[in-house]
Amino acid sequence: MASSLSSNSKARREYPLNFSWGKIGWQLARIIGLLFTIVFIFLPVVWLALTAFKLPIDAYSTKVFFEPTLKNFQTIFLPPRSFGPMVLNSMVVSTVTVAITIPLATLAAYAFSRYQFKSKNVLLVWVLSTQFIPPVVVVLPFFTLFRDINLLDTRTGLVILNLSFTLPFAVWMIKGFIDALPPQIEEAAIVDGCHQLQLLYYVTLPLVMPGIITSAVFTFIQSWNEFLFALILTRREATTLTIGLMSLNAERGILWEQMAAAGLIVMIPIFMLSFSIRRYFVEGITMGAVK
Amino acid sequence: MRERHATYYLLGPAIVALTLTTLYPFVYAFLLSFRDWRLSKSPTPGAFVGLENYVRAFDDPNFINSVVVTINYTIISVALSMIIGLVIALVLQKPSRLNTFLKAFLIFPFAMAPALKGFTWRFMLNPHFGILDELIDFVFPPLQDVVWLGEPGWALFWLAITEVWGWAPYIALVFIGALDSMPGDIFDAAKVDGASTVKTFYYITLPMLMPIIVMVTLLKTIFSVKQFDAVVTLTGGGPGRATETMNYYVYQTGFKFFDMGYASALAYLLVTAMFIFAFLYVRTIIREGQ
Repeated sequence: MASSLSSNSKARREYPLNFSWGKIGWQLARIIGLLFTIVFIFLPVVWLALTAFKLPIDAYSTKVFFEPTLKNFQTIFLPPRSFGPMVLNSMVVSTVTVAITIPLATLAAYAFSRYQFKSKNVLLVWVLSTQFIPPVVVVLPFFTLFRDINLLDTRTGLVILNLSFTLPFAVWMIKGFIDALPPQIEEAAIVDGCHQLQLLYYVTLPLVMPGIITSAVFTFIQSWNEFLFALILTRREATTLTIGLMSLNAERGILWEQMAAAGLIVMIPIFMLSFSIRRYFVEGITMGAVK
Repeated sequence: MRERHATYYLLGPAIVALTLTTLYPFVYAFLLSFRDWRLSKSPTPGAFVGLENYVRAFDDPNFINSVVVTINYTIISVALSMIIGLVIALVLQKPSRLNTFLKAFLIFPFAMAPALKGFTWRFMLNPHFGILDELIDFVFPPLQDVVWLGEPGWALFWLAITEVWGWAPYIALVFIGALDSMPGDIFDAAKVDGASTVKTFYYITLPMLMPIIVMVTLLKTIFSVKQFDAVVTLTGGGPGRATETMNYYVYQTGFKFFDMGYASALAYLLVTAMFIFAFLYVRTIIREGQ
């Protein structure tokens, strides 16, 4: 930057003082910005991770150096905390939600992307706008329905409600990835005598696999992090990890060392998954539009 | 002909699932909003009361409060997300090894469970052993005596920050993507013409980012209006009712006081507000697609 500017003598003559002070100022601003960014991004995560390995006595202080312990993880998996079943519930609910969402969304996305039909635009806008319905509106009627058909406090109930936000998101996201494929490849396959569904299975599907995997990861993250439905619909049997966090709010206040350990368990799978799709992350959300 | 059959088979399952999980509750809640139904008194919906639930909402100071809180919260969190997102983007935009490393971590705050974000910030803001509280006291000693989550204004501010922490890095990534795809020769030309950094940013970068800024602002607004998880885990709506958003108030009405009819009416008022932003957003997306 400096060399290209100094080669232009006119620019230098016009802003002689301004330029050098400005440069120092910008450098300083950049460093402050960088520091701010680093602290802002990392502090909460690092602090939570540190606290998870602290003894209670260290957890209630701002010590950075302490003797690490795994006791907190032990505590939350033993009764009365018993996080084991909650981990299982979160795993099962999220996995089943993905297993139902992705095939349904892929088929629908393919139809939206490749076929022309009468009510296509109406349906597309409908699918997109369902994402704007606040979850609390969805859960009101389902609470009473589930109570009548005995689905309260079940994983099945949670999966059904999760579909209300994962499905529209995944349809839009996968549609975005299919739209980005050049249609020539499929046209060539049709010339070669490929049947419609063969085309989808043998040609399109392998090509959009990265997009489908990205959607699957997003769907998993959304279900894993889901809080409102689980808070309202589960009591004991089907409670997920995010609700488990609430149980650490005891009478004498929150047990922070246990909260941090449980927080790490909630956080780590999500971090690993989101890291695996980081290349598609931004594109993915923009395509899926809204939660 | 064959294609039409294929369309039915492909779309059918998703449409059926969506109808069941979104259209059904949407319609049912609408019908409920005209009924008197206190779950604690009767297991089935009670009498038809016309618009009474809606009329009641406008006389309910707690509801009015939740509307004001939601508006304030949305403005603070959208504005801060955009500004901090832009700052992070400008800081990390230049290719360097440190920046590549940092960019890889930007997705983590966004992916973290919002409920956990609430607890994490609550921990850091604790007046006795919170790391952030201590840091702030060190940098700005006059703020030493502030109990962050005990004062209405600050509680709302930190609730917003909790969400901004997740969103600003994501918005930064979107901006970096947009900045990277801008043609470099315009910036070279500006440099040759002797434009200052500020002028280049104001007259070139910002106008070129505008379409994306509009889209992200709308998206962020929709999410802010939907905010719920961190309200429960950070403030519980308090102190008093200072952080009781519309979502939270509907939840309280429906599932703490079991007044289902009234909760449905409140939910529908929320839907109406969402619909305005949703309409703007869908229009922007469709325009973008064409």
